[in-house]
Amino acid sequence: MKRTAVYPFTAIVGQEDMKLALILNVINPALGGVLIKGEKGTAKSTAVRALAELLPAMDAIHGCRFNCDPHNPNLFCDDCAKSHVSGANIYVEEIPMRVVELPVSATEDRVVGTLDIEHAIKHGEKKFEAGILAQANRNILYVDEINLLDDHVVDVLLDAAAMGINTVEREGVSYSHPARFVLVGTMNPEEGDIRPQLLDRFGLSVVVTGEHDPAQRVEVIKRRLAYEDNADEFIAGYQDEQEELAKKIMQAREVLASVTISDQLLETVAKLAVELGVDGHRADITVIKTALTLAAFNGHAQVEMEDVKLAAKLVLPHRMRRRPFEEGQLDWNKVEAFLGQEA
Amino acid sequence: MLLQAGYPFTAVVGQQQAKRALLIALVNPHAGGLLIGGRKGTAKTTLVRATQELLAPRKLIDLPLNVTEDMLFGSIDIEYAVSKGERRFLPGILGRANGNALYIDEANLLRQELLTAVLDANTAGFNHVERDGISFTHEVNYTVIGTMNPEEGILPSHVLDRFGMYVDVQGEMETADRVEIIKRALAYGENIAEFRKQYAASIKELWEQVQAARETLTQVEVTEAMMQLAAQMCAQAFCAGHRAEIYLLEAARAIAALAKRTYILPQDMQEAAVYVLPHRMRTPPEPQEMEQEDQPDQEQEENQESQENEEEAPQNPDELPPPPPPANEEEDEGSEEDSEDNKEQDEKEQEQQDSNQLAPDEQIADIDRSFKIPKLVLDMGKNTTLRRGSGKRSATKTDLKQGRYVRAELPKAKVEDLAFDATIRAAAPYQRMREDNGCALNIQKEDLRQKVREKRIGNTFLFAVDASGSMGARERMRAVKGAIFYMLQDAYQKRDRVGMIGFRRQKAEVLLPITRSVDLAQKCLAEMPTGGKTPLADGLATSLLTLAKLNKKDSELEPILVLVTDGRANAVEENGGDPVTAAIKMAEKIRKAKITSVVIDTENDFIKLGVAKKVAQAMGASYYSLRQLSKEQILRIVRNLGD
Repeated sequence: MKRTAVYPFTAIVGQEDMKLALILNVINPALGGVLIKGEKGTAKSTAVRALAELLPAMDAIHGCRFNCDPHNPNLFCDDCAKSHVSGANIYVEEIPMRVVELPVSATEDRVVGTLDIEHAIKHGEKKFEAGILAQANRNILYVDEINLLDDHVVDVLLDAAAMGINTVEREGVSYSHPARFVLVGTMNPEEGDIRPQLLDRFGLSVVVTGEHDPAQRVEVIKRRLAYEDNADEFIAGYQDEQEELAKKIMQAREVLASVTISDQLLETVAKLAVELGVDGHRADITVIKTALTLAAFNGHAQVEMEDVKLAAKLVLPHRMRRRPFEEGQLDWNKVEAFLGQEA
Repeated sequence: MLLQAGYPFTAVVGQQQAKRALLIALVNPHAGGLLIGGRKGTAKTTLVRATQELLAPRKLIDLPLNVTEDMLFGSIDIEYAVSKGERRFLPGILGRANGNALYIDEANLLRQELLTAVLDANTAGFNHVERDGISFTHEVNYTVIGTMNPEEGILPSHVLDRFGMYVDVQGEMETADRVEIIKRALAYGENIAEFRKQYAASIKELWEQVQAARETLTQVEVTEAMMQLAAQMCAQAFCAGHRAEIYLLEAARAIAALAKRTYILPQDMQEAAVYVLPHRMRTPPEPQEMEQEDQPDQEQEENQESQENEEEAPQNPDELPPPPPPANEEEDEGSEEDSEDNKEQDEKEQEQQDSNQLAPDEQIADIDRSFKIPKLVLDMGKNTTLRRGSGKRSATKTDLKQGRYVRAELPKAKVEDLAFDATIRAAAPYQRMREDNGCALNIQKEDLRQKVREKRIGNTFLFAVDASGSMGARERMRAVKGAIFYMLQDAYQKRDRVGMIGFRRQKAEVLLPITRSVDLAQKCLAEMPTGGKTPLADGLATSLLTLAKLNKKDSELEPILVLVTDGRANAVEENGGDPVTAAIKMAEKIRKAKITSVVIDTENDFIKLGVAKKVAQAMGASYYSLRQLSKEQILRIVRNLGD
């Protein structure tokens, strides 16, 4: 693939929450993705596309169209499972994790996959032609303007996201394959809502606003001009920073499994969730997972209250709505007071 | 099948009712299947998926939302037809589900005709297919398990009825339980195989219990006394139809079998009632209503009433089953919370008033959330034009290559959206007779089929709200806001677009341009102040202008204007004309522009001027008074044809 110039992630001015939320998801894909809300021109899309440069390599089974993980037979696709059971040789290759885009105009058959027409005509056999969800397995699925996505496409996304499996029963083909992806969506809230069910599928959410500090704004302009003037040179200027961040991410991935959390903090989070009246248990679990990931990123061996606090800020705001369409607001002072008193 | 190794059933913390109902459903397919309702993140899907291990060697077959009809009911076997030149039936999901369990995640989002077909085929015991030149009937016997989140809209009672059992799940509230849930989720994420090992013994035990119960089931007798008890219980709950008794007895049989008994105890019946009765309870018909039998929508009212009544049902499982799925979010939250909400709202408003420095003649009324308006019915007549858009209100055919592919048909003109699968199915049987063209399939013109797609299109509602001082009598504005709030909620579920115009003092103001964000509309509504005179004509003019602009942008949307006013037009016109005359003139323009509209008249004074009614006539609008709204069953909006 031809490599087009991408604005470096580390060159984005400000927007710390957004950058952090994206990085945390790269370190720990089990966090459940991030929803980025903000007005036009706040570097939302730039950041997501820039993230691709920082994505680590991963082991995948050679020739598998779903990039099956050779180390996790539980999540194999049918073909890989067959080879696994029959004891056939499996070749492992290292491939980069990718950002797969789902355009708002995508049709349902392109998203879930459909009948391979060419194969059917040539051979008179039915074969499944994989769609975007297949490509997205173990990668980042990026939906720009996710709030404008057609209802029935949202339905199939929900279906797949619920269990990490895409089940296709359409146009003569019957097929299922693993579809575990990090869902990253961006939206401009002025253009419409996102369905609560889909909202809940996002692990984290951040709100981005344009920088207000004039000095920062000038810096944004300067960098953009420098990039447009000579992209290669500009990118080269950030190479060190990029490599450093990539290294930090790799290290965090390695130590993540060994980070621990005290029972007391677990209790605090459970109580907080009840206090705030969030639906279900996904909020608690995600706060903890995020806190663990944060600790790993910061090089801590154990989760601290500060990690929980920051995690709560990223996880809770979009889970506060009690009714569809009632203004859900996270009273941050309440959270701080609660956590302060528990500490 | 994929993913054999999921989260173990026995590792799910709490959710006793849902677990129990699932076991009953697995043991006895005749108990009519199970629908689990609950908010997001309450382990619904996890639990149902986990039953796979308890079912073995039977399977849990998925029915995904993207299903096409041929795949669901079965169709011609293409590969066989190509090689042998004969038509043979290839079973669909229903065929594969035979003898197994069928799982529908987000059942309320599945096309309703498919959902009822799936449930009815099971009740009838066979699936009859008549398509692609194939006529075939096969037996079906499966257990339908569905899950849904009521936030996304609920199923109508006639569909709900078809499920034997219903369970509502909620998150655990005890800290210790919640901590345990987090710990297990982390442990599972860390090492699935290790985690599953810990629960292997309990799963095996449960599996054996289910297997044993299935064998015992055939021996469990249903005595005359139990039948009488079932009839009594169902009569008490005013269940519609006779399905309830059967499901009740079948569920009780499964409960007895799970307890290794071959006879049913009254307590089995009581437990069964917890799952079987809640979603099918009705209230007794009242004598006064019986007199007005000529009313066409009797049943609807009954439904509404029964839902209200069900909410008041006590939670104690020994007495009566828990409440059924909420009819809507408003009701779901229950009345206690409502009053709390209102208090909070009041306080908020108070703060706002303090900080916002309102002009002396201004005030902000809060929203009366208990205000209910009747079901909104759009009588838009036949809509033969193809439309574009996204939403849920009206199902229309769409000419874009978007929308859900529902079936294939013979093309009427040039094929633009080829249904390839259907085309192959049509061509397949003839392949042996046709010339070899180097491909396995020789497709000819007469084989071509095209896709029929369906897309639900939301409507656009523009609310033009009179916010003048005369509306400002606080209670009245509260009711008005309540009515609009109710319509907004409906709009949310149907994915409508909304806009809002307020008119007071000397002019009308677009408070909210047309948007899909019902959130914003609600906020805008809550903050709308009242005070000053009534520039009715300007309100109408601004509405007309907004809708005309919208029409230019998207001529295929059919916006609906909702005018809420007391009709006391009294703002001075620029040319010094009479404000009422000006308003009526403007109303006529709206009629000529063929804008469909409804007028909600809030005039409540002793001496009625009836201006709003005159305006409604001039606009060609449907007309309701606010007071009438709380009594009517249906708010009907009829298309304005401009004449």
